[in-house]
Amino acid sequence: MTDAPAAGGGVVNTVLGPVAADDLGVVAVHEALLSVLPGAEHGHDVTLDRAEIFATLAGKLAAFRDQGGKTIVDSTGMFHGRDLRLYEALSRSTGVHIVASTGMGPEELLGGYFLTPQTNPPTPWPADKFAALFTKEITEGMVIPRLERRAPAGLVATAAATGGMTATEESLFRGAARTALATGVPVSIRYGADAAHDLDVVLDEGLAADRVVVGGLDRKDAVAAGAPAEVARRGAYVALDHVGLNDDGAHITDRERAALVLDLVRAGHGDRVLLSGNAIGVAKGHPAYDLPFGHVLTAFVPLLESLGLAGRDVRRILADNPRDLLTLR
Amino acid sequence: MSRVNTVLGPVPAEELGIVAVHEHIGYGMPGSELDATWWKTPEERYAETVPKLRRFHERGGGTFVDVTGICNGRDVDYYRSLSAKTGVHIVACTGFVGGDTALPFFERAGVDYLARQFVHEITVGIGGTGARAGVIKVGVSRGGRMTELDKRIYRAAARAAVTTGVPILTHLAIDPEPAVAIFAEEGLPLHRVLFGHADDGVNAPNTPDVWIAEQGGRIGFDTFGYETELEDPPFWARPRKERLDHFLGFVGKGFLDQALVSADANCSPLGWPGVKGHTVNYIFDDLIPDLRAAGLDEATLTRLLHDNPAGFLTIQD
Repeated sequence: MTDAPAAGGGVVNTVLGPVAADDLGVVAVHEALLSVLPGAEHGHDVTLDRAEIFATLAGKLAAFRDQGGKTIVDSTGMFHGRDLRLYEALSRSTGVHIVASTGMGPEELLGGYFLTPQTNPPTPWPADKFAALFTKEITEGMVIPRLERRAPAGLVATAAATGGMTATEESLFRGAARTALATGVPVSIRYGADAAHDLDVVLDEGLAADRVVVGGLDRKDAVAAGAPAEVARRGAYVALDHVGLNDDGAHITDRERAALVLDLVRAGHGDRVLLSGNAIGVAKGHPAYDLPFGHVLTAFVPLLESLGLAGRDVRRILADNPRDLLTLR
Repeated sequence: MSRVNTVLGPVPAEELGIVAVHEHIGYGMPGSELDATWWKTPEERYAETVPKLRRFHERGGGTFVDVTGICNGRDVDYYRSLSAKTGVHIVACTGFVGGDTALPFFERAGVDYLARQFVHEITVGIGGTGARAGVIKVGVSRGGRMTELDKRIYRAAARAAVTTGVPILTHLAIDPEPAVAIFAEEGLPLHRVLFGHADDGVNAPNTPDVWIAEQGGRIGFDTFGYETELEDPPFWARPRKERLDHFLGFVGKGFLDQALVSADANCSPLGWPGVKGHTVNYIFDDLIPDLRAAGLDEATLTRLLHDNPAGFLTIQD
């Protein structure tokens, strides 16, 4: 490890252990490295060539680094292809900090163990059981299933169905909030139908709003409802995390995103904005989304600057805000 | 040519010996692998499993059919090593225990993809192991009725069974009308289907075993040993005598050739505590003595434990 945490300074959990928060640099907070739709590893026509996956991801991380990125957050949770030994090797070889996440969601991506357990009746897991499962991924280390634990997770990520939060998803959100309270990691939520409602679920657990990032706030419905500013007003981080997505009916375009960033900064929410691309390094069992991890740096920041965003605000959004979010409390 | 797929390659059905037709080396619900509560070292796994299989072999057991579905911890390389070291033939399955154990990748798949998955695992192999599946597992999700996904899996299984000649084995035989209709639509004779768990304590009252048998289906009395008399019985347990009487009554109606028995035990459970004191060897320790005491002769026992499963498992040309 090249970056030992400074004595007394804040630290962030990465796959290679804790690093000094001040060393994170430019952070992409909502990305996916290896993304495997649960079950795809058993597909007869799905190949998982680890050497090939490594080469692809190493190339993308090196490009991100060369474009000015220093830390990438894999926010896909514990059951969507997370491969810790691969991520450790990638971080060592590229020098990019990799923060991996615990958590799960939405409900449709959970295994039957959590939804129809071998009890009568098959009652889905409550919040406390999810909290215990996620908390151990921080206090004891992230799991390689049925084998061993590795480094502690850097955040807990969950999501709700776009049709609206289900009962089990409420358990996931509350369990994630309790995990954050118990361990000091932040929570990442991808809201379902109503960002403010879903944020309130985690805040109802007593979690401080500045420990929460709400993803997907560049969805058209959220923007139309004024959700980005509302989330910021409540004190949570606003992730405009589909930067680079310009041809999707559900999301605003980069030009609109840039205008939204400037609006939020002008309204005094510059300390709550986060940018990311939700790019997928390698996708298995579902469609690829081959956006460079550095797209925010190479394309979107120039757009923001051309619209008049000050350099200090750019720095705040790309580095300071994610550092403050990810620093363990 | 009579042929059955085992994890170490095809064997003639004549070599199967006594068959335990519905068992698990280790079963866990999908996702249970994330919960370290259940983790065991490989040393512990082998220590729990090998003596049970060795004893099964010594008592005359020939073949252990593992019906742990695709997302439930099926581990074919492990089964291959167990088979090679204990001498027990192990038949692995393709398919799913139920729609609620099929992970999103398969939940989102259509009938054609699922059928290709099953055919591949039967004719080419499971993952990179080279071992071919010898039976197709399907089942009814928790809740008592077949779900849309359950039906999609049954239809894909039926097509794979017609294509490959490998039989189908079900988890639960409740709500069988949609299943029987699907098999008929796909042209699969019902004697190629074993409708399982007709005897468990929760589902037996809701399982029309005689009706299924009259349609030509085989019936699995395959939870023998999950008894209320156990120290810590599971919720699907049933009084020992009640299950035995149910079975004898079914055979007494003239359905011996359609009856199959097994214990549905876990050698070393993966994602649940398991049931203390219950193993595949219930077949030798308790079931066979009980059947003899009830007056079944050796020829009948041979049909039940050898001929019926051999006929079921033999790949149809």
